[in-house]
Amino acid sequence: MAEHDPTRPARRPPDTPAHARTAGFLIGPVFLVLAIIMFLGSRSTEVPAAATPEFDRALLRVEPRRTIMGDPPTTVIAGFDQRCNACHKLFESTPGGTSPLVQHSQIVLNHGINNSCANCHAKEDRERLVLLDGSSIPYAEAEMLCRQCHGPVYRDWTLGTHGKTVGSWEVGSSDAYRLKCTECHDPHSPRFEAIEPLPGPNSLRMGEPARGEHQRPNNPLRHWTDESAHDHEEAHE
Amino acid sequence: MKEYTRFLWRCFRLSFHGDWRYYTWMLLLTVIALLGLNAYCKQLVYGLATTGMTDQVSWGLYIANFTYLVGIAAAAVMLVIPAYIYKNKELHDVVIFGELLAVAAIVMCLLFVTADLGRPDRFHHLMLRFNFPLSMLTWDVIVLNVYLVLNLHICGYMIYTVYRKRKENRKLFVLPFVFIAIVWAVSIHTVTAFLYSGLGGRPFWNSAVIAPRFIASAFAAGPAFIIITLQVINRMTSHEMPLNALKLLRQIVLVAMTINVFLLLSEVFTDFYTGAVHSVSAQYLYFGIGEHTALVPWIWSAITMNLIALFLLYLPYRGRRVWVLNTACVLLIIGIWIEKGMGLIVPAFIPTPLGEFVEYMPTMNEILVGLGIWAFGLLLYSIFVRITVPVLNGDLSYDTVYHTEPESKPAVRNASGSERSVPS
Amino acid sequence: MNLRIYEGDGKSEGACGGSCGCGGGGDGAGSGGMSRSGITRRSFLRRGTATAGGLAALAASLSPLRDLESDDKPTVEKFLQKHYKEMSAEDMESALERIRNEVERRYEVRPDIRDIKPMDGVEFVYALNLTRCIGCRKCVHACVAENNQSRDPEIQYIRVLEMPRGSVDIEDGDHHYDRPTVPDDNHYYMPVQCHQCANPPCVKVCPVEATWQEPDGITVIDYDWCIGCRYCEAACPYWARRFNFAKPSLPTSDLNTTMSYLSNRPRQKGVMEKCHFCLHRTREGKMPACLEVCPVGARKFGNVLDPESDVSQVLKTKRVFVLKAELNTLPRFFYYYDERDPVGHRGGEGAAS
Repeated sequence: MAEHDPTRPARRPPDTPAHARTAGFLIGPVFLVLAIIMFLGSRSTEVPAAATPEFDRALLRVEPRRTIMGDPPTTVIAGFDQRCNACHKLFESTPGGTSPLVQHSQIVLNHGINNSCANCHAKEDRERLVLLDGSSIPYAEAEMLCRQCHGPVYRDWTLGTHGKTVGSWEVGSSDAYRLKCTECHDPHSPRFEAIEPLPGPNSLRMGEPARGEHQRPNNPLRHWTDESAHDHEEAHE
Repeated sequence: MKEYTRFLWRCFRLSFHGDWRYYTWMLLLTVIALLGLNAYCKQLVYGLATTGMTDQVSWGLYIANFTYLVGIAAAAVMLVIPAYIYKNKELHDVVIFGELLAVAAIVMCLLFVTADLGRPDRFHHLMLRFNFPLSMLTWDVIVLNVYLVLNLHICGYMIYTVYRKRKENRKLFVLPFVFIAIVWAVSIHTVTAFLYSGLGGRPFWNSAVIAPRFIASAFAAGPAFIIITLQVINRMTSHEMPLNALKLLRQIVLVAMTINVFLLLSEVFTDFYTGAVHSVSAQYLYFGIGEHTALVPWIWSAITMNLIALFLLYLPYRGRRVWVLNTACVLLIIGIWIEKGMGLIVPAFIPTPLGEFVEYMPTMNEILVGLGIWAFGLLLYSIFVRITVPVLNGDLSYDTVYHTEPESKPAVRNASGSERSVPS
Repeated sequence: MNLRIYEGDGKSEGACGGSCGCGGGGDGAGSGGMSRSGITRRSFLRRGTATAGGLAALAASLSPLRDLESDDKPTVEKFLQKHYKEMSAEDMESALERIRNEVERRYEVRPDIRDIKPMDGVEFVYALNLTRCIGCRKCVHACVAENNQSRDPEIQYIRVLEMPRGSVDIEDGDHHYDRPTVPDDNHYYMPVQCHQCANPPCVKVCPVEATWQEPDGITVIDYDWCIGCRYCEAACPYWARRFNFAKPSLPTSDLNTTMSYLSNRPRQKGVMEKCHFCLHRTREGKMPACLEVCPVGARKFGNVLDPESDVSQVLKTKRVFVLKAELNTLPRFFYYYDERDPVGHRGGEGAAS
């Protein structure tokens, strides 16, 4: 269609008055019904949110895992702090043994190849530690003892790449403090016990969280995985 | 100027007149739009938690529709190319409906983006600190708004000159803008594609083929949309469409869709043959991973629809059997909507960059907002068409009284009531 | 009350209630009809009911806004607040005062909030020892407690991934592991948080510059400037950003009242947030909360410009890697290993590690 004749009347009248009027009468009521529906409709929409899991806030303490012995070390007997030598001067301890009879019964030695208290504790002076060459050091310098076996870890610790520096990140700041070996590790059983993890993320508002690794058949990187360990793990769960 | 306000006022009044089909259609759209507005108000009050989006899948239905509509808007102007460059007279008349569609589509785009914002009340921050040219989103803001103004100008000017029975000054006021609009149409879609393909952290998007794919799919879906629209206008109004134009449109759709399918194939091949970890999103989309298969039925229905549509388009065209073309177009419109919405936006988020699988499903409220915006856009387009048809027919011009108006036309009294954002 | 306001608005603007989605409209059609001679009663009635119905429907559709909380309502003060970088000292003070009042109203406690600036000659770097991490998630929850994240819905900055030994592909990680005890012998653990990239994709994409990198390397967000488009969340390759999909909520008793403008002050609905290396702590020389709580010392933090700092030593003496190095984001968050794994598969029984 090229040009329109402006005088030509419209081909079809676009308005069919009777129908239009009926339709027009419907508009008001339809709107009113809509208004009522929206007014009465729920005021809030459903906002799915998973409940936040609870856990013991005390687990978030920032203190070191362990309180280390003072120097000279003391222990509480009958409500009083006692120096080590106070007893050890009186009683001779079993030579080379690991199972004390009376005191220290809570101590279980589970530290590598160590088999005797005397590996670390000086026999002559129970308030000092003994090095491999027979010389003794105070408790405050315990890391000098540890480093005899754990050279790389000691090196890392002095550099700050092992262990934990707290208080301040500023080198040389008076607030900065690097925890000592025994503030984290129990010298008698230095490996960390497994602990209960805090609750996992629960931010999903929709659906169940996806679990697990996606399947990679024939992944040579995983062949070393011990099947029995896997079975064991599944049985455990 | 006074005449122009009168024109706007008459347009405004005209949009309330029509036959019962017009009333029913408009009433339906208004109801849906109001329901959408209601849903959006709830979203304003309770936050985007009313949608199905999560930190894991942080864009959803809104951005998907936005992407799709940018394509429609861009492609609407594609009609202009043959009309002006190849001087195809038949299309001249059609162009204006295409541009009007572009206007409505851009308005919908802007509404979808606004609906997606967490803080729409801070929209003015865009004016105050505009991270241009670094952020692709700022590019998008610019190109979309300029495109809107361009098309409003072209349509407004053309319609108004016909209304005033003036000879339009094509060389000065239309042609330069038409050519700018053509280039701009490509740019809006390219920029929108770059919005996604520029993100290195999303391998599913980070592909050079996204932009051409966007444009190809847009040039398929847009003209398909117009093919349907033209026939609807032809049937419902007194305007006689040059239905021969359908032939050319069909060719555009055919070529664009063929390219689109080819690009899709290239992408699928690269993803699956390489089989890198980065193709997990594609795997999820097409086949699902484990029990996560939400998108699989969607994408396969989209693929099926697109392929059927392509097949239908390749059948020899006979003017009589226009239903074949129409079926193809409807399939295309839906197919590409899924492909570019659910199929392109959502899977890029699944799994998350940290490998977590969280699926996305829009909520009722979200769907209502989306429907409301669509209804509002269609409403706008219906009004545009309602006004344009009598003007183009010559029934409504500055010196005539249109038959829906009473003979004793009152003077313009309430000009303020007709403030429409049509630039002069 | 709101209702009336909106109704009034509808009328005065005379939007097109009859058939246009923006509602209203009735005014034009209605009053026009009334004054015109020769108008029938029927047609008046028709237009009248349509207009009234339209207005009622519009009002009803806007009615959820009556539940809008006072904190969410736009105020002139908030509207005029400038971007962080454009604020003068007085602007900042008045903004802080407004925040103090808001926090007091919401939590009945007056916070100690300041705007803490970066220190000169400091560039923060984080390092994490994958050999030591046991996956206890204490860092996750210490971070939440320190930074006033929303508890419901839950927002956490740190994700701990349980990785199968033999893989370094984070897509193999399990985010939701739930064991009686950790660590598990067949897995290792990889916490992920904001990597404070030196080439941050999130900063690049923000359309309003609401997020930027500070001189000390921390990427921060102005919560009062963010428009909530979530483009940064899509851009982040480490999934480090979080969005407040709903109004953040936390019990008053859990509120940390030591706050800074760019870090842990309470956020609003609809804005992004993320890890900021606890800048209210670290810019005063303290350690981040996630580091302080770590029971195994897996986390290292410090000034990389100081060659003696822990992190400099890690970079010098350890083999480190960053996640997704191929993306060239240049993270300031490094992972490293020790020479020997103390809890390796089939136990390092007796291993001196």
